[in-house]
Formats: sequence, structure tokens, C-alpha cells
Amino acid sequence: MERMRYVIVGGSAAGMAAAETIRGHDPHGSICVLSEEFDAPYFRPMIPFIISRNKKVEDIFLQGRGPYQAKGIELRLGTRAVQIDTTTKQIHTSRDEVLPFDRLLIATGSRPSMPDDISGLATTGVFALRSLEDARQAARRAESTSHAVLLGGGLLNLKAAFALLERKIRVTLVVYSPEVLSQLMEPADAYLIRQALDQAGLKIITGRSATKILGDDGGVTGVVLDDGRELGCTMVCIGKGVRANTDWLDPEEITIDQGLVADKYTSTSVPGIFAAGDVAVTFDPIGGNPISTGLWTNAVEMGRCAGANMAGHPTAYGGTFGILNATQVARMPFVAMGVVHTAGSNLETHITRGKSTYRKLVFSAEGDRLVGAVFIGDIANAGLYRAVIREHRNLDGIKRQIIDHRLHYGHLLYA
Amino acid sequence: MKQPKEIFVRTDHCTGCHSCELACAIAHSTGQTLYSAIAEKPVPKPRVYVEWVNPDRAVPIVCRHCEDAPCMHACISGAISRSAEGVVMTERDRCIGCWTCVMVCPYGVIGRHLEEHKAYRCDRCPDREIPACVDACPTKALIYQSATDFSQKIRRTAGREFVAGQGR
Repeated sequence: MERMRYVIVGGSAAGMAAAETIRGHDPHGSICVLSEEFDAPYFRPMIPFIISRNKKVEDIFLQGRGPYQAKGIELRLGTRAVQIDTTTKQIHTSRDEVLPFDRLLIATGSRPSMPDDISGLATTGVFALRSLEDARQAARRAESTSHAVLLGGGLLNLKAAFALLERKIRVTLVVYSPEVLSQLMEPADAYLIRQALDQAGLKIITGRSATKILGDDGGVTGVVLDDGRELGCTMVCIGKGVRANTDWLDPEEITIDQGLVADKYTSTSVPGIFAAGDVAVTFDPIGGNPISTGLWTNAVEMGRCAGANMAGHPTAYGGTFGILNATQVARMPFVAMGVVHTAGSNLETHITRGKSTYRKLVFSAEGDRLVGAVFIGDIANAGLYRAVIREHRNLDGIKRQIIDHRLHYGHLLYA
Repeated sequence: MKQPKEIFVRTDHCTGCHSCELACAIAHSTGQTLYSAIAEKPVPKPRVYVEWVNPDRAVPIVCRHCEDAPCMHACISGAISRSAEGVVMTERDRCIGCWTCVMVCPYGVIGRHLEEHKAYRCDRCPDREIPACVDACPTKALIYQSATDFSQKIRRTAGREFVAGQGR
């Protein structure tokens, strides 16, 4: 049999997970990964540690760590894919190379979404933290920064905020929504987190957005808000979500709808070409709706699935929750997963508010299925709840334990 | 290839005495004795959990070191890997305490060391012949065997019962 030629466009979570999986199934095929970045693959969610300088760049590289142990993966760094010839099965790169492939994975990820209603975004000192190189530059800029303004109240900015706080920089977070983390929970769910953020010394302005970034020869000098207020600062970070990197693809040839459309077996509309990670549009297992998530963990899972399919082991992708986050900010751990925005819905919701813990369990309107959960302060056994949601599990005998956050694996076996 | 041994749980043998939890915590303490372990700060933590299901069933739960370990693939810092013996390990120094592993573990067996801000789990007692929990179990509810040996034993028991039944 001919040696299979696998080409993977994108050297981050989905691409590298796919490469690893392909190698596991096919020891002989050639695997070539193209990455636009000049850095070797790294754990992208770790870049805040580069800004805080708590970790060195070499500490966050991916290969040889965790499950990434495969040999014989050719990496072409600083190389962008510019065009796919679907009839001859060739890919053209920014270095004028032409690479033939038998199986192609598109895992080009996403890029920060840049608001078009803010002027001055190109000023030096304005960052949208995405890559290791962005983090390096932000870390350098931080040396001469005493106040930074972060636009957007999502997880990326919160992590960046803490990285900067650790470097003794004052941080103001400007959030258009009524509360931080509005994508991951409702404002009323976030009070413990907000309290912890306030105590940690983060200044938060909600219900406002920026209209203008001011600057001079040295870069950013301030931000003007929509109420006319001017905040003096020398560094700005934009955290307004991400957009799929599909611009280089021809929508006449391959189906694109908010992202690269993948079927249940991670295949695009073109046979032999697969999609995984942030660039892909997949579906959520609760409602079956199309979603793209922008999460490392999801990208790895889908990348592994695509890798198996590419290596000839048909594997259905189970989809993913739009919300699937665990982290700890300001010593406050939290998990949000599945359907957690319940305002105006008829979903059965159980909320328990404590001084140091908060939980919200969301069930279907009929109350017979768990569809979402938020745990703040105490996140014990969160994975069990995820499994219950994902498997549409029957709740007979376990619903009380779920509401009380007392579920353990024994219940799933014997209750 | 010699099959690695695993910890098997026979829930019908468990009386809920919690000896395994105690032995596990001691095995993961600095002093390695019950008396020193009690006084240690932070308090040594067990990595096996004996839970209760009404009306009368005790269920010991311990990391399965899953073949397709969700924690290992979900980890955002590369802190979780698999040893040559098949043990899924969390590397303490690399763990950043983001709790993604806790969010994806379908068994709920990853603990959180709050003082240290690190995740911890069963390491199958690398320095012992037999894991401490298995050693301590008075009813053999926990068994340390290869999957082949364990299933062979079940088949033999079933076979004996079958033959005995036919002879009647």
C-alpha cells in the first residue's frame, strides 16, 4: 500500500491532536503540519503566564508533554496555506511550495474579533492576545506600563488582567455587558466572582464601551469611553471573542457558514478534507444547534476525532457544549457548562446562593434532563454533571443529588 | 506483552469501612504512618473515595486510568501524561490549578489540593508492590490484577457454578 500523505493546516490544539492521533493509527504515513506562527506548537491557554513572567516560553511548548509524544511529525513553521486545489489535491503555501495530500485537515483556528466601532486600534500598545508572540510583546510593553485598560469582560481578559496585576500594573476592565463573564453565566450568577475580582484590586466598569484609543509617538496614551470619560493608560487589550480563520478558503469550493462546516465525521463538504477546532462549525449535543466554541479542550477533542477519521477509522464526533469552562480567577474556582442562560426561558432552574459557594442547575422544561450547570466556589465532581448532561441521562433517583451537588459515581451505578 | 495490573473494584464485597481511604492518605503523607499523617499540614489526602448509595451499598471509587483519558487530553498545560505502565499521572509542578481535568473526569476522582492549588489523583503507588488501598482492604473489594487475570478468575468462578448447577 502507498504511504498516506497527511497535511494539517494549523499547528495548535486541533492540528497537533490530530497529528498525534493519526500517528497512533498509521505509523508509516507522512504527516506534515503547517503553522503560520514562527514558534513551535505550544499550549495556547498558557500565554497569560508569559505576560506575568511566571513561566518561560520553553515551559509551554507542546511536543513531548502530556499526550503529545508522537515522533515523525514534520513541522513547517512560519508557513501559511494560501490555497487548496481540490481537484489535484494540492495545497499552496506562502513559501510558494506545493504540497500534495491524500488527507487534509483544516485547523486554522480563529483570530480575535476586532470591534469596528473603536478608532485607533492600530496604535502601538494595543493588543488582542492570541499568540505567543502577542504575549511576548505584551510582556515587553508591560515593562513601561503602570495602567492598562482591558476592553471586554471574558475569560481571556480576566486572565490577562491577573497576569498584569501580578506585575503590579493597575488594571481597568471595561465591560459592555452588565457583568463580567456574560458569555459564561448570567449577571446574577457572577456575584461571587465579581466580589473576588473587586477584592483582588481589579477595577471594573460595566455597561460601557470604548469609542476611541488615543495615542502619540510612544503608543497608547488613553481610552475614551462612550460616556465621554477618558482613561489614561499605556496599554490596551481587546478581548471581544474570536472569528474563524476561513478567509483563505474559497466558499465556492467548500461550504462555509460562520466557519468551516463539518459533518458528524468531521469531514468538510469536500471528500478527503476535514475540519477541526475553532475554525469548524459543529453542533451542540443538547439542542443539536450549530456552534463554534473557541476552546482548547474542544479543539483537542475534535482534532483527535478528525485524526481518527483521516487515518481510516470512522469516528463520529459527539459535538460539544457551547459553554464548557473551568478555571480559577482571584482564588475563586468556577465551572460553567451547557445551557446556563435561563432568563426568559421555561427551563427548570435550581439556584443555591451561599457566602462562598454558588450553584445553578438547569434542567429541561419538563425537568427530566439536566442541560446545564454553574458551580462557583466548589466545583467538586463537575465532570459527573457534564457526563449527565452530555449523555441525556435519565434522572430517576439522582435528581435530588444533582440539585444538592452531592452526586458521585456510585449514584450513576446504583441509584 | 505483559499486561499491566489495574485496580479492580468489586462493589459487592465492600462493607464501607474506609480502610482504603486511610491507607491511601497515609501512603501519600510525608511520615508514612497514621500518627504522623494526622498531624501533617496540609492534611494528607486520600485518592480513593468510598461513597454510599441508599439503602445499603458502599462504592469505592478510584481513578480508572482510562485508556482514552479525558483529563489527559483536556489538560491545557500538558501536566497529565501516561507512564509506560499505563498509569495516568498529573505532574504536580506543571499543574496550574485550572480544574479542567475535574470538569471532564466522568468518575469524579480528581481531587483539588486547595492549599497548593494543584490537582491530585491516584498514582497507583509507584513505590509499592501493591497499591496501599488494595493492601488495606479487608474484604478484597479492591483487587490488583491484570485485566486478563481478573476476567479469567470471573470466568472460572462462573464455570464452576455452571457445572455445579448442571450436576444437581
